Amino acid sequence: MSEILEFTIDKFTFKVPTDRYYHREGVWALAEGDRVRIGLSDFLQQSSGDVAFAEVESEGSDLAFGDEMATIETMKTDIVLPAPVGGTVVEVNPAMESEPEVINRDPYGEGWLAVIEAEDWESDRDRLLDPQAYLARVRELAEEEMKKL
Amino acid sequence: MNDLCDVAILGAGPGGYVAALRAAQLGANVALVEKERVGGTCLNVGCIPTKALTTSAELLVKARQADGLGVSIPEAAPNLPSLMAHKQGVVDNLVSGVEQLLRKRQITLVEGEGRLVRPDTVRVTSATGNVVEILARHVILAPGSVTARPPIPGLDLSGVMTSTEALDIAKVPEQLVVVGGGVIGLEFACIYEALGSQVTVLEMMPTLLPGVTDDSLAKRLALILRRRGMVIHTGVTVEVIEPAKSGLRVIFAGAKGKDAVEGERVLVAVGRWPNTDDLGLAEFGVKMNGRAIAVDEHLGTNLPNVWAIGDAVGGMMLAHKAMVDGRVVAENVMGGKRAVDYRSVPSVVFTRPEIASVGLTEAEARARGADGLPQFKVTKFPFSANPRSQILGETEGQIRLVCEVGSGRVLGVHVMGPHATDLIAEGALAVQVGATADDLAWTTHAHPTLPEAMLEAALGFRDATIHFHSKR
Repeated sequence: MSEILEFTIDKFTFKVPTDRYYHREGVWALAEGDRVRIGLSDFLQQSSGDVAFAEVESEGSDLAFGDEMATIETMKTDIVLPAPVGGTVVEVNPAMESEPEVINRDPYGEGWLAVIEAEDWESDRDRLLDPQAYLARVRELAEEEMKKL
Repeated sequence: MNDLCDVAILGAGPGGYVAALRAAQLGANVALVEKERVGGTCLNVGCIPTKALTTSAELLVKARQADGLGVSIPEAAPNLPSLMAHKQGVVDNLVSGVEQLLRKRQITLVEGEGRLVRPDTVRVTSATGNVVEILARHVILAPGSVTARPPIPGLDLSGVMTSTEALDIAKVPEQLVVVGGGVIGLEFACIYEALGSQVTVLEMMPTLLPGVTDDSLAKRLALILRRRGMVIHTGVTVEVIEPAKSGLRVIFAGAKGKDAVEGERVLVAVGRWPNTDDLGLAEFGVKMNGRAIAVDEHLGTNLPNVWAIGDAVGGMMLAHKAMVDGRVVAENVMGGKRAVDYRSVPSVVFTRPEIASVGLTEAEARARGADGLPQFKVTKFPFSANPRSQILGETEGQIRLVCEVGSGRVLGVHVMGPHATDLIAEGALAVQVGATADDLAWTTHAHPTLPEAMLEAALGFRDATIHFHSKR
């Protein structure tokens, strides 16, 4: 993994690796040739809580940018994740069927959700946040959350 | 017995004996034919004995978790002989209860194998070879179902069991391989898991419990079972069962190629078939749907005054559905015109956690929407947010409601969690009477109880769930 940006507030530290792009809702997208690997950001997994169940659109599903791609149930809440890139789901992490809590353990690695065969990664990428911009958003959201405490 | 009776019923399972009792209530003179004990599969080798085992298995699991609830139970272990005795005691009690009811209603129980020899005559051959013919104004066919035998080589090997054999064991196998991830297979998987077996489940369809419940609950159940250590393969076909060092080897094939699993015992539970082979139906041209007897909405066959009910007519093979059939057919035989209404027949699965469903699943509602029927909204509530669940220490699962958009009419209710099989009664009532989510939400549910989760799920229809926050 390349360089990792970090933001710390109170006792929380949120990591943002610089090798990928981010949907503002907290979904990362990592280009691997024509394919894009997708997962939850560290901030999203930490702020959502322990994952109890994850349901990802099945292999073969065609998704447009922003379509509902996965539902994650945690002990605290349900989150519906948007696809950060349009295309066809070609792989779903098999760990989601046996230990979706891997999302909490390793959100940027083994906790990936799916791989999408992108239709037009270049133009979708322009709609995503780069690591610095996402870090700024995390800061903003985290500070907002802290105010509620 | 050559006297004319009003109704002759072939089979004293939940469909047949209920039809007998109801017809007698309405004044009929009834002969009930049964080759084994009354109560059929359900009472003798089905619902009742499995639930007796399930209950003991659950108690064992609870006892082992008792520390968490502040109770010290130093050594909780199964005692197979007394477990089997408890199970048999329950079965025997219930069988004699049914026998007593039949006597009280003056129903003639004829023991032996029944067969239609004319559309109005049933010939009964007893175990000792005695033959009697019963002439009846109406004949109700209620022969039930038999364990399906898939064409898998090796089914006859020692150690391969059907559900009937799996009910009666002298030793808990180290490993159990369950062929079939439907209701029967999974209930036994959970029983044997609690007793100490390492369990592997092989299911042909892509999800467990196909056609029984909402896919999303079936997927959640698979995750819960896997987390507990059960091995589950879906989308695989069993090719052969063969002898192996540890007992048996089951070879199966799926999208990822061939694989094998070994076990001391193999349970084959791939469903049930209507028991329609040796009843003489073909000779009279009784119309069939494959193995099932074809019936109209009043449960009449194509022959006048010949009726059929329960598992033998196919569809949902459930004791409670057969009992409803029994009541419907009894009324119709006695001159009524009642049509069957299966909208509120619940499916119940006594796994850990339990699953229960009634009405439309999400996928069924979606499929209907395509025909121009109303759209639907799914609302849900997790048991982890229900106080009673927390008290019980059983927080896995959720309630899902499928409601018609606009009216809020409840189209389907799907429950996974503690006492799901009891909780579904409210859902069945809602579907039957056409209740809306608002009706459920404005019915005050006692606190702190499990049914509060139903109220909360119903509140979700108007995004008004109180005790859970959903981030979208």
